[in-house]
Amino acid sequence: MKDVAFGQYFPSNSVIHKMNPAIKLLLAIAFIVAVFLVRAFHFLGFGVCFAFLISVTIIAKIPFSKMLKSIKAILFFIIFSAVIQIFFNKKGTPLWENGFITDVALLNAGYIIVRITLVVLGASLLTFTTSPVELADGIEVLLTPLKLVKFPVHEFALIMSIALRFIPTLLDETDRIIKAQKARGADFESGNVFKRIKALVPVLIPLLISSFRRADELADAMDARCYAGSKNRTRYKKLEVAFKDVFAIIVMAGLITAVVFLNKFNLIPYLAAVV
Amino acid sequence: MQVVVKNLNYTYSKNSKSVAVKALKGINLTIEEGEFFGIIGETGSGKSTFIQHLNGLIKTTKEDCECLKIGEFDLTEKKCNYKKLRSKVGMVFQYPEYQLFAETVEADVMFGLKNCKPEMTEEEKSSAVKKALELVGLNYYEIKDKSPFELSGGQKRRVAIAGVLVLEPEVLILDEPAAGLDPKGKRELLKLLKEIHGKTVKTTVIVSHDMNLIMEECDKVALFHKGNVAKVDAPENIFKDKELVSLCGLKFPLTASLYHALKEKGVSLKTNLKVENFIKAVTEYYKGEQR
Ligand SMILES: Nc1ncnc2c1ncn2[C@@H]1O[C@H](COP(=O)(O)OP(=O)(O)O)[C@@H](O)[C@H]1O
Ligand SMILES: [Mg+2]
Repeated sequence: MKDVAFGQYFPSNSVIHKMNPAIKLLLAIAFIVAVFLVRAFHFLGFGVCFAFLISVTIIAKIPFSKMLKSIKAILFFIIFSAVIQIFFNKKGTPLWENGFITDVALLNAGYIIVRITLVVLGASLLTFTTSPVELADGIEVLLTPLKLVKFPVHEFALIMSIALRFIPTLLDETDRIIKAQKARGADFESGNVFKRIKALVPVLIPLLISSFRRADELADAMDARCYAGSKNRTRYKKLEVAFKDVFAIIVMAGLITAVVFLNKFNLIPYLAAVV
Repeated sequence: MQVVVKNLNYTYSKNSKSVAVKALKGINLTIEEGEFFGIIGETGSGKSTFIQHLNGLIKTTKEDCECLKIGEFDLTEKKCNYKKLRSKVGMVFQYPEYQLFAETVEADVMFGLKNCKPEMTEEEKSSAVKKALELVGLNYYEIKDKSPFELSGGQKRRVAIAGVLVLEPEVLILDEPAAGLDPKGKRELLKLLKEIHGKTVKTTVIVSHDMNLIMEECDKVALFHKGNVAKVDAPENIFKDKELVSLCGLKFPLTASLYHALKEKGVSLKTNLKVENFIKAVTEYYKGEQR
């Protein structure tokens, strides 16, 4: 069960890991915006985005194999989008006489592949370098303005971090209970769909019960330490904006400027009219 | 059924090098039929991983293991009949009460029978459940229709153990069965295990951190250390080896601590470290001194 990669935090002591998670989250969103700013067929902009991703990956000490794995996870989705483009986009001229694939369709497919890949890689860099708990902290900070409309931001963030915290625990527990029932001869691998679903009952009920027990224990532990919600609470880890964060913001601003600037150069001018 | 293990290796998350954990590094040991066999070792030394191999919850291959045989079952074979194996080799996990799920105690205990021996009639099943519950010291008629969740902690654990015993295993494996029980509960559980041993259960394998229990009850003990077996021997020989036990990060049973303390003072006792025998040895030594 531990093989199920979730959140895929990849611990290391790089500068990127130590950045303020709220700012990292904002910058990840900015990066995705930058990717979407690149106009069709202006591949120079993509070049800059890739260069940025690769540099960050190296600085963060994330192995490239890890990055490739995160693409592998959605490979099917990427191929599917590309295939739809290739077969159903009828703009431009056919590649061969009376052919059903056009040059625009092919380029568009490439454009989509690169775009999705960049977005996914950017998002995985965020999750690789930010632990789930930090991420929840970052979201809490970013949502703070919603307090004005009485949205319980702190509670929301707390629920999120507790849920994230307990995912590995629950996976472990599931593993244990499955083994315990297997030891009593339970069979989860054969039979039709209904049989298999029914076979899960002896796993789900103990799991549910232990989740309630854990929830109870956690609530008691929080009560015992006088937890009373967000009012007048200070933070244990203050999220500060350090030089590295400012520097990262400047780099991102540079990236977006570069993308906008490079949008002026069309490598394949005769296609510009089509799109 | 004899258990033979030769050069057993196991690695968790083998496929991803960065998080792979070598949990077992060449385990060799043999457990004879009829033994009350103890397994001790620090947390993380691979005890749980090892015993899960013994009834195929973790599967091994010929690559990872030279030989893993339990009676006639060869667990390195792909086509090993795990269902049959699991009714012969019962496994009680740590905190077994967390596996209870059915509406009544009877239904829960019967779960294993339904899976492994579906050919039995309802009556046969009920009488097997009755036998198992009585074996763990519970009154069948009082408890069978209760919900397992309304029982006390100790009762729950007994019901869970009955759920394994109902299959009449020849080998019973227990992973820290007494964890979380009070001293009285521990004593009672141990008494019960001793009673069951020698009835339908022929071989008992027990993982425990309670060194006094291991010293007193086990015929033979395997000492695990960082995925290896450091020593397999009678408990007295294990605990007389002061350096080894300390190196493996374990405590001594009471008698062994006294034995070593006395030895430092120049008093060498002839004893097998079981409590009664130890007391006898001390009294004899004392009488000898007075003369
Ligand atoms: N499901 C698992 N995934 C990855 N590693 C594990 C898993 N279970 C145990 N381990 C690791 O294997 C080693 C042996 O663990 P275990 O057999 O549980 O030891 P013990 O029962 O002696 O405390 C430990 O280093 C532990 O961290
Ligand atoms: Mg263990």
